[in-house]
Amino acid sequence: MFMSKAFSLLKPVRLKMSGQSNEADRFIHPAAASRGQHCRRSVDCERRYKTHRGSAGRRPTSAPQIKVMAEEELPGVLILDIGGTHGVLENLAALLKKHFHLITMREFLENKKELKKKIQSVFVFECRPTIDRELLESLPNLKVIGNSGVGVDHLDLKMISKFGVKVTNTPRAVADPTADIGMALMLASARRLVEGCQIAVSPETKHFAVDWLGVELTGATLGIIGMGSIGYKVARRATAFDMRILYHNRNRRRKEEEEAVGAHYCEKMEDLLQQSDFVMLVVNLTPETHKLIGKKELELMKPTATLINISRGAVIDQDALVEALQNKVIRAAALDVTYPEPLPRDHPLLKLNNIIITPHIGTATVQALHMMAEEAIANMLAVLNGQPIPSEVFPK
Amino acid sequence: MWYHKPVINEELLQSLPNLKIVANSGVGIDHLDLKLLSSYGVKVSNTPFVVSTDTADLGMALMLASSRRLVEGYQMAVSPDTEYFPADWLGAEVSGATLGIVGMGNIGYKVAERAKAFEMKILYHNRNQRNKEEESSVGAIYCKKIDDLLRQSDFVLLSVNLTPQTCRLIGKRELELMKPTATLINISRGLVVDQDALVEALQNRVIKAAALDVTYPEPLPRDHPLLQLRNVVITPHIGSATKKTRRLMMENMTDSIEAGLAGLPVPNEVL
Repeated sequence: MFMSKAFSLLKPVRLKMSGQSNEADRFIHPAAASRGQHCRRSVDCERRYKTHRGSAGRRPTSAPQIKVMAEEELPGVLILDIGGTHGVLENLAALLKKHFHLITMREFLENKKELKKKIQSVFVFECRPTIDRELLESLPNLKVIGNSGVGVDHLDLKMISKFGVKVTNTPRAVADPTADIGMALMLASARRLVEGCQIAVSPETKHFAVDWLGVELTGATLGIIGMGSIGYKVARRATAFDMRILYHNRNRRRKEEEEAVGAHYCEKMEDLLQQSDFVMLVVNLTPETHKLIGKKELELMKPTATLINISRGAVIDQDALVEALQNKVIRAAALDVTYPEPLPRDHPLLKLNNIIITPHIGTATVQALHMMAEEAIANMLAVLNGQPIPSEVFPK
Repeated sequence: MWYHKPVINEELLQSLPNLKIVANSGVGIDHLDLKLLSSYGVKVSNTPFVVSTDTADLGMALMLASSRRLVEGYQMAVSPDTEYFPADWLGAEVSGATLGIVGMGNIGYKVAERAKAFEMKILYHNRNQRNKEEESSVGAIYCKKIDDLLRQSDFVLLSVNLTPQTCRLIGKRELELMKPTATLINISRGLVVDQDALVEALQNRVIKAAALDVTYPEPLPRDHPLLQLRNVVITPHIGSATKKTRRLMMENMTDSIEAGLAGLPVPNEVL
């Protein structure tokens, strides 16, 4: 079953709860079960954010006895909307309703006085609602912002922290589908799949040209920039294609981890750029990674190389990329992310024929959205129940 | 012989008294009349191993592109009408899904090696069962009956060669055994699938989608229903279309030709 596969690292725990069935139980941190025992996190700790070491070993308070509650007694969660162009999908809203009193932004604005005290959490879906100072000031009992997705570059972590509000993300739910999209883009670009499709169905096609070729993946060199959970899963997949794998990361991975996927560490990103046939960006967006790939980096890449971006659009200097693609400084690019999304319709990137762009679909699967909601719910409940938080995010 | 040309028929063979060998590019030789060639004492060679990894790679590319709706997504990303990306536009996961490989030769096995890294559950159907080490190395489970594979798979990938036995291997009956959420991927030969039955199955959502590198004929007539369907991805037979592999194919062929002309054992001879 898809539901449990990515969360096998967290032990399923039955808290003493009566009433509701709780898929969210599965993501209760092991420390919550082993009361009074030190419990080292056995999960694949990604240290992209400063995850507080203490959170794994904190003594929990006694396991909560949660009785069946009427909806209004459940903690309030604020969402932008249900359905519509930018709202939470209906089936995900249903998941939230099992544990929370769901309040939409419209309901809140119409009845601020009564509702403002009830809202203890905000579920941020596709970067909405926007968390600004005004909102934070109007929610005196807000304890946690549960983000759906792993990237939190749209949240002002420092400001939120000043209000004593915690922020959580969903690193486990996003890892497999995002790694899959990275592989899909790399394969599609190398083998010219989109172009090929167009030829196969075009009314003008009379025969298939014999000299129409792509580049091979097997035996080529993949350079992964950003070897967190997602980057590591990409490496696992790419190794099965007999690719040679280089990686660049803030910190080097352990020897066993490197050997398991045959990855070679490049302390200098330049070394990776010069040797790779495919360069894949899997970093999070921070001031340090903003415009990480610019004119200089593109010129270091091979002229036969392909750049793949599954991180954030702003990690690349987009103008420099346009120029590099136009002048064949690199062979091609494949982007699931751009800045902004969508791009303006007259943007030069849309006109190039050596580029594939997808509409930020790294986690756009039925299964992934469901798991992200479950992971966010588990995180928010952990905060509200004073238990160890599976994936809290801290400002630097 | 490159891309099935020139066509080898009786007339040609009669006009070439000193013909010793026909070297075929690629592994498929369904377009050659082996009996006829043998009766003229002409040897035949193909290029079975060099095409395996590229073809397996393309099989994976098609599976991922279809499942994640990559081509549709691209069209949305670049369309002049796009104003925003809707949140309810979703594909389906490849990781953790069940892949059924029909035909576990060199290419099928390489597909299994790749799919394993995506934590897919792998079933396979083949004339012969592979040995235990080969199976456990990729975590593949043998399905003696193709029906069992069809019923359980989220993705069905065809990597058999085309023979009288595999012609129309997948027809109406087989498509109806598949899950309505399943995708059919074909990297073998167009004729392995009953194309009319496939069109009907796709139109009526008997299966979810198809991704085909091969059709019959190639290219399809421009008014063929397969070209109109939204839930089909078609590529123009590019399974081995990379520079490196074409070069290796050519080297294989010249090796075979040289050996054939020198009267030595022919590498990659087809018997």
